Amino acid sequence: MHGYIRSARRYRWLIVSVLTIVWGAGAIAAYVDYTTTFESEAIIWGQRPPPELASGPADPSLSVVQTPATQQAALLTQLFQTESFLREVVARTSLQESIRGTVNEKKTVEDVRKRLRAQALGTNLLSVSFTARDPRIAYEVVIAALALRGERVTQSRVAATASISALYQKELEVTQGRALDLQRQLDEFNESHAGPLTEEEQHRRDQLRLALDFVQIRLGDLRGRIDQALIAPALLDVSGVEFQVLDEPTVERSPRGGAKPAASIAGVAAAAGLLLAALVVLLGTLLSDRLAGSDNIARLAPARLFATVPYVPEAAGRRGRDARTALAAIAFEDDAAARRARVR
Amino acid sequence: MNSRSEVTRAFDGLASRIDASGFHRIGFTSAVLGEGVSTTALGTALSLAALREETVVLIDANWLEPSLTADAAAAGAPGLADLLAKKVDLAAVVRPASHAGLAFVPVGDRSSARPSLRSVSSLIASKPLAQRTIVVDLPPILAGEPFVLPWAALLDQLFVVLREAATPLPLVRQALARLGVSTPEIVLSRAAGSSGDPLPALRAAPA
Repeated sequence: MHGYIRSARRYRWLIVSVLTIVWGAGAIAAYVDYTTTFESEAIIWGQRPPPELASGPADPSLSVVQTPATQQAALLTQLFQTESFLREVVARTSLQESIRGTVNEKKTVEDVRKRLRAQALGTNLLSVSFTARDPRIAYEVVIAALALRGERVTQSRVAATASISALYQKELEVTQGRALDLQRQLDEFNESHAGPLTEEEQHRRDQLRLALDFVQIRLGDLRGRIDQALIAPALLDVSGVEFQVLDEPTVERSPRGGAKPAASIAGVAAAAGLLLAALVVLLGTLLSDRLAGSDNIARLAPARLFATVPYVPEAAGRRGRDARTALAAIAFEDDAAARRARVR
Repeated sequence: MNSRSEVTRAFDGLASRIDASGFHRIGFTSAVLGEGVSTTALGTALSLAALREETVVLIDANWLEPSLTADAAAAGAPGLADLLAKKVDLAAVVRPASHAGLAFVPVGDRSSARPSLRSVSSLIASKPLAQRTIVVDLPPILAGEPFVLPWAALLDQLFVVLREAATPLPLVRQALARLGVSTPEIVLSRAAGSSGDPLPALRAAPA
């Protein structure tokens, strides 16, 4: 531990310089990021559609665990993950002009995906926000995203209504056929049994009447559901309670929404500075834990320095060879010559 | 001044101190591999031979990395290990002195024997070597302690070679502790760029 403290003291000016450079650069970057970030935000009141206005009271997709706000935020977040949605959002903003015909389109879409956020603020309150360097673009993106979401929801409702109406219609036709068939059977029975009925015949007639009643009730229910499926979406749209924008997005004039990224930049810079300083101390300690020269041989006491062998540069060796090769040549060349003589 | 003598002169300072101390049986080891022990042993042996004007016996006792044997192209030749195993006699393993005054003993077949206090003692005390200057190249202490300790007890001086600004001190301390010598002697091998021209050091070396 003392070694590390010694290194920290020895390299204090280097550490101070490193920290000044890294932290300074981080602080400047964080400040620039903060002052050039503009966030546009829409606050929305979300409400779960009433069960009687939904596709059906028995609809299993009707969640009771999620709050209306989280439900709507989840829906928006899913939409923001789709490239087609984001491309259409970009196409409705000023961003489209800057990226038209360039290879940056995909990058821009990815960038929009990262910065477009939907989050629940309460049980019914949620926000949709976008941060950009240009406040106008931030505003445009939020507006476009909300508008596109509305269109998509309407489209999906129309599609869902059409399909469910078709299903009910088919069921209605089958049930009507069944009702006609039962009515015909009952009429035939009444015609063929004019006199007093036996107990068994009475039971048969009652069965037919009961079945006919059930089918007629079912017919009424189906007609009601068909009407409901057609009217419910229209009612939701008219009332506007399901997705109501309370605070419209605005073009911000002062920086907003950049505090978190700026804090991240500052945090990373702080951590990087500390890491580099630690690295300097570590390397300093490791390097200092070697014999720097004959002067600090005392660190190996009671060992004593007997002599120092100077470094022999490569040029000192014969024909530029290193010292070892040159020494080996001097020491053993007679042996090699003798061996060569023996071979000859 | 030719380049050959310039290289050997780098070791003159070390050789002079050894000569002045009156050491005749010296060894070089290190804490870890790659410290330049074999180079130091070779350079010192050459320099001592020139200084004392007698034949110096250089013994490659590096069981882990016998690079001097490789330099002498004596990898398959009988050597120290065969001698310690008593397979051959000393005359058969000593390569006669070159004109540089160096007689060389290669490591030999390392699987045949390991150095022990008794075998190394009898080798050093043998008549042909008793009056000679012997320089022994040894493996690093931490990696090859069993190959170093028998020599440490019998040599006049065992030097620990360190590479300047490279050898980690904790490992050096560990190696010195294992060596068990009361006052270990260090030979500091300068790193590239730390000393520059070797000539000032040569000029400072005793004649």
